[in-house]
Amino acid sequence: VDRRQITELERLCGPDAVLKDPSALLAYECDALSYLKALPGLVVAPSSAAAVQAVVRFCHREGVPFVPRGHGTGLSGGALPVPGGVVIALSRLNRVLDVDIPNRRVTVEPGVTNLAITKLVAPFGYYYAPDPSSQQVCSIGGNVAENSGGAHCLKYGFTVHHVLALEFVMPDGELVTLGSSMVDAPGPDLVGLVVGSEGTLGIATKVTVRILRRPESVQTFLAAFDSIEAGGAAVSEIIAAGIVPAAIEMMDALAIEAAEAAVHPGFPKADTILIVELDGPAAEVRDLSGVVLDVFRRLGASAIEVAADEAQRARIWKGRKAAFAAMGRVSPNYYVQDGVVPRTRLPEVLGRIRDLSLSSGLRIGNVFHAGDGNLHPLICYDGGVPGEADKAADVAGEILSYCVEAGGSITGEHGVGRDKRDSMPKMFSDTDLDLMREVRAAFDPDGLCNPGKVLPTPRLCGEVPGPYRQHPAEVAGVADRF
Amino acid sequence: MSRAVGAAEELFRLAPGARNGRQDDLIDGAMPEYVVEPETPEAVAAILRWCSAHGQLAVMRGGGTRMSWGRAPRAVDVAVSTSRLSQVTRYEPGDLTVTVEAGLSIDRLNRELAGRGQWLPIDVPSGDSTVGGAIATNESGPLRHRYGTPRDLLIGIRLATADGRLASAGGQVVKNVAGYDLGKLMAGSFGTLAAIVSATFKLAPRPAASETMAWTFPTGEALAAAAGAIGGSQIDLLSLETEAILDGAAGHERTFRLLARFGGTASANAEQAAETANLVAPFGPTANERLADEADGEFWRDRPAAMWRRPGALVRASWLPSRLGDVVALLEEIARRNRSRVRFEARAAVGAGTVSVDGDVQAQRDLVEALRARPDVAGNVLIMRAGPDVKAVIDVWGPPTGAAVVAAALKRALDPASVLNASRGPV
Repeated sequence: VDRRQITELERLCGPDAVLKDPSALLAYECDALSYLKALPGLVVAPSSAAAVQAVVRFCHREGVPFVPRGHGTGLSGGALPVPGGVVIALSRLNRVLDVDIPNRRVTVEPGVTNLAITKLVAPFGYYYAPDPSSQQVCSIGGNVAENSGGAHCLKYGFTVHHVLALEFVMPDGELVTLGSSMVDAPGPDLVGLVVGSEGTLGIATKVTVRILRRPESVQTFLAAFDSIEAGGAAVSEIIAAGIVPAAIEMMDALAIEAAEAAVHPGFPKADTILIVELDGPAAEVRDLSGVVLDVFRRLGASAIEVAADEAQRARIWKGRKAAFAAMGRVSPNYYVQDGVVPRTRLPEVLGRIRDLSLSSGLRIGNVFHAGDGNLHPLICYDGGVPGEADKAADVAGEILSYCVEAGGSITGEHGVGRDKRDSMPKMFSDTDLDLMREVRAAFDPDGLCNPGKVLPTPRLCGEVPGPYRQHPAEVAGVADRF
Repeated sequence: MSRAVGAAEELFRLAPGARNGRQDDLIDGAMPEYVVEPETPEAVAAILRWCSAHGQLAVMRGGGTRMSWGRAPRAVDVAVSTSRLSQVTRYEPGDLTVTVEAGLSIDRLNRELAGRGQWLPIDVPSGDSTVGGAIATNESGPLRHRYGTPRDLLIGIRLATADGRLASAGGQVVKNVAGYDLGKLMAGSFGTLAAIVSATFKLAPRPAASETMAWTFPTGEALAAAAGAIGGSQIDLLSLETEAILDGAAGHERTFRLLARFGGTASANAEQAAETANLVAPFGPTANERLADEADGEFWRDRPAAMWRRPGALVRASWLPSRLGDVVALLEEIARRNRSRVRFEARAAVGAGTVSVDGDVQAQRDLVEALRARPDVAGNVLIMRAGPDVKAVIDVWGPPTGAAVVAAALKRALDPASVLNASRGPV
């Protein structure tokens, strides 16, 4: 980015929207995945959709790569800058545009936080369902990019199930509306494609989401087991009984220890604890509570806690949601993974992770969404010990292989980003990845929008990724390439 | 559409059993020159590669139960049927997931899943309607209230591309954000971007018990107000349906009904039904009935199909849920004006439904145009089925939206020879 370009961006967005001072740029060199860093050339923080559009048009015209960024809480390096490129920070687009209670819809700009939506509608008895652990600080634009989930997505789904419409700046600066506040916009589900595309297809400047009525009743249980297998069996039996709880979370001994040290939730000392939450009509919750408690007893739970009030429920969830950050209490550094396995393969894969912990000498804590098989192994290491960070990364890669071998995924909710980009071939063939590249190129033929994320770089340079294929016209003999 | 000598022989080699189109293969009056029924995903891919190479227009067909949907094609060279791709590839009851080939009927799949107390909760117009068709149309019915549309249940997909490749996206697990969700891109794409050869879904446990309460109201206004009261409550329903039967011909006879279907434990259903009755009472229902157990299952199983069996045009529309009363009022006015018979069935809390209109071409056309003329009341008005006279004068998809440029770019990228779905739309 040169002097002329800076002047032009200042003219487009106002001088206070352009950060170029190296010390200011440092704050943007990484997202919450801090081991990947790159210094952007410039950060632009537009305060209107029109300004976002102007910046993107500028980047498109000048051939400057740009990276959209919400509140920087992503865990896969999805907002990692392109060295010397532009970061488009969306934090100033933080207006609430419409709260429509009768129609159960809220429209906001992308910089509004996830929890702010729930706070807006809570007085009316509503909430916004996806609840990533970072919900107090993460932005809804980031949630759209990452298709964020959370502990309660087992029953209520992910961001993609709750977004109705997007105002969206295409990588060439064109502004389009995807989806419709009224449902059923005809044609392919472009909202569904764009949600979870990790900022590689464009930038959402307006987001319309559905809000849900608070359930009549919520019941939270905590059960302690002396083995992961018993905990895993409890999960399977609850599901087999035809129950879809609002959440099923599991923590192992190391995670319990860390959570205790950090926020003192008063968890029982155990090898494994399970947190199960039921919600819905009071009578339904009452009926199903009996089934859940039966399962716990039958599988020999050493302690069972039934939250008697909101305070006890909040304490249990605080212990669970604090577990990531709490790892800092038991280890100088840790690396979080996000692989998914089919629920029925949990005990087997967790066993393999335990063996890997022993053979690598690195402690691995597990705190995860057991209901949908989304693991979050926390690999502890000491960055001060030479080679240990690399070893942790190797262990993380090995765990992803276990997940894929079990029929799962390399990421359940944190995204591929830059972090797991090179693990994509574990899950997808060259042909699969080529097709995704073609979709990307349809949105962004110049490859300027969040380049280097999600899809591994093809082996050869050139605009058409993958091996040479004959165009149908060539096959038909109606066109030649040379 | 000139075909090189020998090209047809090549098609017959790729698709053994290929035959010429017959009367029952007609698509809006266009006779497919060939009908092929590939037995493997590879064969689907090879056929599409052949179509692209020779500029032959291809239309994908599942159970053929929604072929009325779409613009009338100028010509169809090849109808590609998925009838021989109908296996359950993988069923994991403990994981509540299933992978099936595109040509499997949803009814047949659900018969298989019933043994484990599970289902794929997607309403279909016929027992022959397939998984592939459900995704391609993304059409849904009363069960949408709780379970959403097919795209909400889809977790993985395998596609045959126009140039003959087989590619997958998504996976086998319910939670997965690796790569682009190309399954979503297929939802509502009507076979314009690629062919669906198989799909993986998350399943739901069947409700422990179900029952339905239905109330009749004197006016559409009362119906909408009662629906609004339930929609904003904490009642947790399987379906919340509104129904308006408006006979503009026979003395303006009108019926308005609200149907609430409960799907939980038997005791919770009973408790909630009583609560719902209390919510509805202030709006003056004139009659009510209750359906339970088998009668309940039977009633709902046939309901989406019954709508498709009605004569005349079938139209789909959506609206903001709070405008339901205005939608019903508008339909009343249209029925009266045209002396047509209109039946309206809708998901009250979602704001979406279908309208069946019997009457002459002018009446059918007027209904669509009158709805489209009131974007403040209803939107996304499209024709699911209408005669050629109606399709000739009015676009089935309606005016292009702002997203059309994006869809067009995807079409150019994925189907550069523009052979998929013979311009029937929506891309």
